[in-house]
Amino acid sequence: MNNAFQKDQAALLLEQVEKGRISRRRFTQAIAAMFAVPAGLGATMSFAQAKQLVLVNWGGDAMTAYDEAYGKPFQEETGIRVVEDGTGPTEGALRAQAQSGNVTWDVVDADPFSAIALGKEGVVQPIDYTIVDKSKFREGFGWEHATSAYFFSFVIAYNATKYDTPPASLADFFDVEKFPGNRAMYKWGVSSWEAALLADGVARDALYPLDLERAHKKIEAFKEHVSVFWGGGAELQNALLTGEADMAIAWNTRAKVVEQDTGGDVKYIWDDGLLQPASFAVMANNPGGTEPAMQLLAAMQVPERQLVMFEMLGQGPANPAADALIAEEDKRHNCVDPENMAKQIPLDMEWYAENYGAALDAYLAIISA
Amino acid sequence: MPAPSTPHAVPVGPAPGGRGWRIGGWGLIALLPLFLCAAYLVPFLGVANWSITLPEPGLGQYLRVATDPGVHSVIWRTIRICAIVTALAVMLAYLLTYVWIHGNRTMRIIAEICIIVPFWISVLTRAFGWLVVLYNRGILNTWLQDLGIISQPLTLVRNDVGVVIGMVHFLVPFAVFPIASVMRGLDGRVLMAARGMGASRLRTFWEVFVPMTMPGIFGSAVIVFVFSLGFFVTPALLGGGRAIMIAEYVYVQIFQASNWGLAAALSVTMIVLVSALLLALMRITRVEKLVR
Repeated sequence: MNNAFQKDQAALLLEQVEKGRISRRRFTQAIAAMFAVPAGLGATMSFAQAKQLVLVNWGGDAMTAYDEAYGKPFQEETGIRVVEDGTGPTEGALRAQAQSGNVTWDVVDADPFSAIALGKEGVVQPIDYTIVDKSKFREGFGWEHATSAYFFSFVIAYNATKYDTPPASLADFFDVEKFPGNRAMYKWGVSSWEAALLADGVARDALYPLDLERAHKKIEAFKEHVSVFWGGGAELQNALLTGEADMAIAWNTRAKVVEQDTGGDVKYIWDDGLLQPASFAVMANNPGGTEPAMQLLAAMQVPERQLVMFEMLGQGPANPAADALIAEEDKRHNCVDPENMAKQIPLDMEWYAENYGAALDAYLAIISA
Repeated sequence: MPAPSTPHAVPVGPAPGGRGWRIGGWGLIALLPLFLCAAYLVPFLGVANWSITLPEPGLGQYLRVATDPGVHSVIWRTIRICAIVTALAVMLAYLLTYVWIHGNRTMRIIAEICIIVPFWISVLTRAFGWLVVLYNRGILNTWLQDLGIISQPLTLVRNDVGVVIGMVHFLVPFAVFPIASVMRGLDGRVLMAARGMGASRLRTFWEVFVPMTMPGIFGSAVIVFVFSLGFFVTPALLGGGRAIMIAEYVYVQIFQASNWGLAAALSVTMIVLVSALLLALMRITRVEKLVR
């Protein structure tokens, strides 16, 4: 569907390194810590026939993080080189590659709903859960054609200097009487529908299938208060920093950075956060073979490796065992920390696989009318 | 600036050996259509093919372009914004060009800076620049409020107004050159004759100068309009999700909604519309006056 978040990660990492918030040294330390992990995994692995696997993500500096966290240790253990490819595995690109009959990618950072749709078409292959340990995923995340890879969240960020009492829910986000001021919402629909429905009184467990008509009615009535429909992280961050928006439905990764940059003038809450799972899938007829690809996915479950991705990119770890490794002061920024996760609602990937395209068309027609 | 290459500056007409020169010229020019075929026509045919085969063979996507109110609203907004932008950009460019060609030395230099400097600044930087100037706590609103001219900030950006401002700023320099080429080629004696016959300065300008530069205005309008139809970054940023134009809509269909067929059908429709527009304009104005 949108992959805007995945692309944003590279930009975010670069900014953080430039600001000196993540030093190159810290980066190296994180990597070193990871290598110190006894590679028990390697011993149980059959040494595969493949010489390399191509891991496709969204490019930029994020590639370095992927390589350090996942690629290098896997090569240490198995001798299989992991080649990073930053092309961006859009649904269209994956489909095109499968149709051309010349598959050059192995493991791809594709959204779960893409994987669900592509799995039905035979573009990606089912995950071999005898190699990948499903018990290492959070319950409910891990699909027939995609593993659980990491999490991010749409949270409410607000200008703390403007409101005496902080907002506590999406109902507050939509309440301009109680919380006057401008709002920012996501331009590509995801999170906006859920937010509108929850604010309109729909119960959490009755959210899906989304009642789009009701959501759009709510958004239509509210949109005059939305000063920015943001399409990317930089735009979102800008809107919050300049005060163009007093409250935003924001990616937790960017919300954290704005909180740091403003010294706490802008804060964010986890209540009513909308949790989005991300996943990896394996191309059908991939050149590296099914087994090595599944082994790479299994190797990505190591908590220490996921910790690197949390520290570098703010990715919420797929393996709950990684939660405990996160430094105490950083725990509150982990979108899947048990305490934070309980306050949030996961997005239903099955629904998105079926309905996203048409829903987005209708949403755009409303916000741009 | 280098001297404008008018037809008077190059040897034309049947001179001794002129025929050979012409064939050589055509030979060189022929490379361009070949390049255009390879780089544009072939991929375009591929796109046209998608439009009638995705997701299933048939004219369903064109039916949707013809009937879907959502698509229509995007197309109308695009045409409306592009028409406004064209009118404003050509008007500003006309004044700027007039100063550039007829002003004194200082004014000419200022005009040249206004024309050339924007070419050095990326479209992204310019869009963000306008955001800083125009948003509700931006430079302009703060200034107007401090002066007591307005009490509430004006909504100048994240809507159609912001998009128009950003696009005009980008397109004025492009609008200058066709006008300049016509203004330069104008025979000053005609204006002197008008003045000599007793016409006022203003009347000479409106009744002689403007009509004689009309081909330049047309040419400039065509270039700006066609160019503005494809704008992506400026509307995406300054529109704030509220002013989705056709280029962004095509992007949405390809990258977000995974509906390549509709994106292809929209692209083909746009190409046909633009070609029809160009043909119509060629009929009412003489092309050779625009391109010299």
